[in-house]
Amino acid sequence: MKQNPPEVKNTAWVRSPIDAFVLAKLEAAGVAPAPAADKRVLARRLYFDLIGLPPTIDEMNAFLNDTSPKAYETLIDKLLADKRYGERWGRHWLDLARYGETSGLEGDGAIGNVWRYRDWVIDAFNNNMPYDRFVLLQIAGGDEHSKTRNNYAPDVQGLIPTGFLRVAPWDRSNLVAAEVRNNYLSEVTTSVSSVFLGLTVGCARCHDHKYDPIPQKDFYRLQAFFNATQAAGSVPVPFKDPAQAEHAEAQVKKYQEQLKSGPEKKELDAMEQVLLKKLVAARKERAASGKEYTKADLRLEMKRKPLRIFSEAEREQHAQLLEDADRTGDAEEQDKLNAFEKGLLEKLNIAYTKGGVDPGLRFEALGKEDVRREAMAPYSGKSIFSEAEKNRYAELSGKLEILQRRVGRWSNQVLAVTNVAGPPSGPYIAPIRVLKRGDYNQPMEAVEPGFPTMLTGKENAATLETDRYRQFPTRGHRITLARWIASKENPLTARVMANRIWQFHFGTGIVATPSDFGRNGEKPTHPELLDWLAAEFMETGWNIKSLHKTILLSNTYQQASDNPDAKAASDPDNKLISRYNRRRLEAEAIRDSILYASGRLNLAMGGPSVFPPLPADLADFARYGRTGGQMWEPNDKPEDEHRRSVYIFQRRSLPLPMMAAFDAIVFSESCDRRSRTTTPLQALQLMNGELLHEEAAHLAKRAAQEAGEASRKAQIERAFTLALSRPPSADELQQFDASGQPMEAIARILLSSNEFAYVE
Amino acid sequence: MNRRNFLFDSYLGLGGLALLDMLANDAQAATKSADPLLVKPQHHFAKAKRCIFVFMEGGVSQMDTFEHKPLLTKLAGQQMPKADRTVGEIATFSAAPNRIIPPVAAFKQHGQCGKWVSGLLPELATCVDDMAFLHGVKVDNNNHGPAVYHTLTGNQFPGSASIGAWVTYGLGSENRDLPGFIVMGDRRGATIGGAGVWGNGFLPAAYQGTLFRNGSTPIVDLHPRPGTTGEAQRKELDLLNWLNAKHRDQRTNTSELDARIASFELAFRMQAKAPELVDLSGESEATKKMYGLDDAVSEPFGRQCLLARRMVERGVRFVKVLHGAGGDRWDDHGNIGERIPVHCKEVDKPVAGLLKDLKSRGMLDDTLVVWASEMGRTPFDNNLTTDKPGRDHNQYGLVVWMAGGGIKKGVTFGDTDELSVRAAGEEVPVRDVHATLLHLLGLNQNRLTFLHAGRYKKLTDIGGRVISEVLA
Repeated sequence: MKQNPPEVKNTAWVRSPIDAFVLAKLEAAGVAPAPAADKRVLARRLYFDLIGLPPTIDEMNAFLNDTSPKAYETLIDKLLADKRYGERWGRHWLDLARYGETSGLEGDGAIGNVWRYRDWVIDAFNNNMPYDRFVLLQIAGGDEHSKTRNNYAPDVQGLIPTGFLRVAPWDRSNLVAAEVRNNYLSEVTTSVSSVFLGLTVGCARCHDHKYDPIPQKDFYRLQAFFNATQAAGSVPVPFKDPAQAEHAEAQVKKYQEQLKSGPEKKELDAMEQVLLKKLVAARKERAASGKEYTKADLRLEMKRKPLRIFSEAEREQHAQLLEDADRTGDAEEQDKLNAFEKGLLEKLNIAYTKGGVDPGLRFEALGKEDVRREAMAPYSGKSIFSEAEKNRYAELSGKLEILQRRVGRWSNQVLAVTNVAGPPSGPYIAPIRVLKRGDYNQPMEAVEPGFPTMLTGKENAATLETDRYRQFPTRGHRITLARWIASKENPLTARVMANRIWQFHFGTGIVATPSDFGRNGEKPTHPELLDWLAAEFMETGWNIKSLHKTILLSNTYQQASDNPDAKAASDPDNKLISRYNRRRLEAEAIRDSILYASGRLNLAMGGPSVFPPLPADLADFARYGRTGGQMWEPNDKPEDEHRRSVYIFQRRSLPLPMMAAFDAIVFSESCDRRSRTTTPLQALQLMNGELLHEEAAHLAKRAAQEAGEASRKAQIERAFTLALSRPPSADELQQFDASGQPMEAIARILLSSNEFAYVE
Repeated sequence: MNRRNFLFDSYLGLGGLALLDMLANDAQAATKSADPLLVKPQHHFAKAKRCIFVFMEGGVSQMDTFEHKPLLTKLAGQQMPKADRTVGEIATFSAAPNRIIPPVAAFKQHGQCGKWVSGLLPELATCVDDMAFLHGVKVDNNNHGPAVYHTLTGNQFPGSASIGAWVTYGLGSENRDLPGFIVMGDRRGATIGGAGVWGNGFLPAAYQGTLFRNGSTPIVDLHPRPGTTGEAQRKELDLLNWLNAKHRDQRTNTSELDARIASFELAFRMQAKAPELVDLSGESEATKKMYGLDDAVSEPFGRQCLLARRMVERGVRFVKVLHGAGGDRWDDHGNIGERIPVHCKEVDKPVAGLLKDLKSRGMLDDTLVVWASEMGRTPFDNNLTTDKPGRDHNQYGLVVWMAGGGIKKGVTFGDTDELSVRAAGEEVPVRDVHATLLHLLGLNQNRLTFLHAGRYKKLTDIGGRVISEVLA
């Protein structure tokens, strides 16, 4: 039921129903809205808001010179159609989806190919996918089936969006299976509820919610929708776009060839031969004569071909016992092995010391694996290989490992969820149980999938959307939940998303705690307006771009950031929305804009993530030990370094320092709004960091090229317009010129300035 | 009224808001001001004003350091007796508990308190009368990643705020030219979890730990670019300030803009103060020796500990000193007999030196020093197929000790059974350690909260017991 806009006195200010809702409150408080923002300010606001980049000076001038009444609306349409819109708003969604590309835990290894989920999100925004569909696919992509046909093949492309259910930190290091599963299901339940419904059900994992009417049982009823969900490894999903498919195939082929016979591989092979000889020689030399030979020597001797002391039967039996002891870990097996080895060792010692068998030759059984172990051990004065050899070996192995990773990234494997088979081809699945205090060791009553009682008023089980003949009992669980969430009947879904969209436009939501519409959340400042927006959103078919436009066309949005009315000061948090919220840009917008001003931003879209260089003094810290592979990688193509920030590899344990300083860590829990802190570490990044210095140099160069070498003043003017989308004022030009600062310093100053970092 | 409106009105409406107001806490309100690191008063009086947290990554074997279990020597080499909940839960990497490994070195009693300490830690053994020991501390997970997170952030999963972030959030920072929370990493590489274990989690980024590296460039991008003089940078900053001031003067509601202008001045000063901090040339030879800087084995960690003292001396609120990384950590699954003596030697003199140095400067009274790892180890062998035994993980056997302001000196609380498998008597969940740590710094775990995702988050989650047995 759509709320009617309230009556207001100053009807002239009302350009959209939104304005009536806002103005009614302002009038009640006796505060006048702020005047309309200056056209220049408005253009810059709109560009950052929709595409995360400032207008070029030409774009700015085109807008300033367009005096038609439709100028502003035309600009909105242009920016909504711009592909960079999807990158900007997709990033907002990735925050909510706690998007990361590594486990966050032991070793922080990559969790699988999730970049295709990232690209799917960007495409969904660009293609204006209706929000109900957007929700449905992320919860239940691939879980749909035909109501009329059996043996219906689910849409395999629908598996990509289910990455939403997989990108959280993944606790693969814990070996207690039941706990891992329980943690996984709880995380998914919590995230789905907070992101799509604005409900914080997480507390109910262990006890009834203390503030909202969410009994513990409801948490598990909700979780039960995911009971058949298999968080398996990756699944093959072909590339939909033929051009991308072709490119992927070519990339895989290229890397595989390099792995097989590239210069690194050749060098490593040659090096291994040399090192093996060195290893064998060194071991022979070091082997002290007369000592008791041990199990390690026995195992080497057993590897020799042909055997010279032992029989083939002895070798086989030894291998079997070794495997048994290793596999079972049983003391009895260990005893058997020990007893057998004791006999063998006696034989070995006799053969080596009295039997005329040259003990030194046992080292000829050393192989590539032994070379690897020796090469990767930390260097010490006693090492057999030189420090240079060790470093080169590690470097070459690292390069090959990266090639292997690249093969994986361009394969068609995607991290997603599927359903377990279930009867008749698989076993029945055990029901979800309420867990006492959330402890997997303390199961209580079993529950059926069901919606929160708070919202439905019912405790009954949900009617699952199964196939017609119920042949696939594990299908249709998630789709049932997804359809209920993505429904016009759901009182929360549309409101939660409308509020999020509002929040990203204004800096604060109508409900300021956008993932918590419960009692602990903030009270909505304009509940009727939120109702109206939600109704409008659904009426237009969950059309996100249309909702943007409705909001952007309002006078509320077009207010200036300063309100001269003295009464507005009594509302420091701007709950009445009597001005636009001036605020610092996010890390991504700052970094992208720096590169944009210097002319070096690479606007290529999509594909595996990229690795902007780490600060030099952090690079060696980024290794996880010597053997654990590299935390950060060189880029495939050098120009990848300057891609937009949304494409930066999201390693949970190693966010890029500049991004982290500006509050963009790699999120492990859903992030519904970024912090906006101001710290000296941010200033250090700008004063001394490589990015700003390099790009400032390029900006200075660009200004000289475009404005001509001759005139310093013209260059300063050009630098201002490139960085701030405006020419300098007369006194600014005078001050900068007279400062005697070199152009590079001037560029640094502009890129570090408050005006650059703030949108208003 | 239809259901939707009813829900909206009642659900989002007035109910519950009074409670919200009652719970609203000082710290969260303070973060709304322009200066998140403003010094805030303690919740209750406590002697300790700052904390040095030394963390040994990998799982320190308690029975080779601070936990004396004579039965292990007696049963050495014998099959481990069947003990409750060992299979699958403690012994995760070996399929079954195996033979008992005796302590690597003999234990002796030390100090007035008579604490038994392994011969591997001769220097720390001389400090036992200044320490309070917690035995049988339990973490909720038996593998490194989750256990490290649990010990350092109170939650097994990434995403929560680390202890240092909580403390800085609660107390602010006394030194405005240096970060309030500093982390010193092991030179050998990143710790498990990396930035996540010193991160701010859901707290504002101002409270995140700043990673200091060993060497002359402790903070990323601390030093001006090569060829930039201080004078040139000052002039550049002056012009930036001029532009920013002009921008600000044309606007109202400028507290954020002012704060950002100030942040550049702070950064400028930090460039001078941080190198001074890491420059050890002013320290006497005797002091350096006290920290083991004269020995190649203990030098790196000794340097970290000496820097920790210099940091707290300058008003840094929380210093986290990390030891062990990658293959070089306390994770002695095999060859414990040769590995653990080296690790002990790396840290023994440095940590003991830190305690002695703080004490001689009168700083041990208002500084809290905490030693922890993410788990203990098993009494039995984990390495079945070679000659060199090692111990498996034991999430029930962690030993933590504290020294300094507010602790009862020379006491031990908690114990494990004769084989050091599980707690004997009261189990000490790691959240109790956290509650005690906060209490010792004058912070009440229930008042130090932050509203996030519908809950007032706190370090101790469901709440821990302040272990009064170790308080002075």
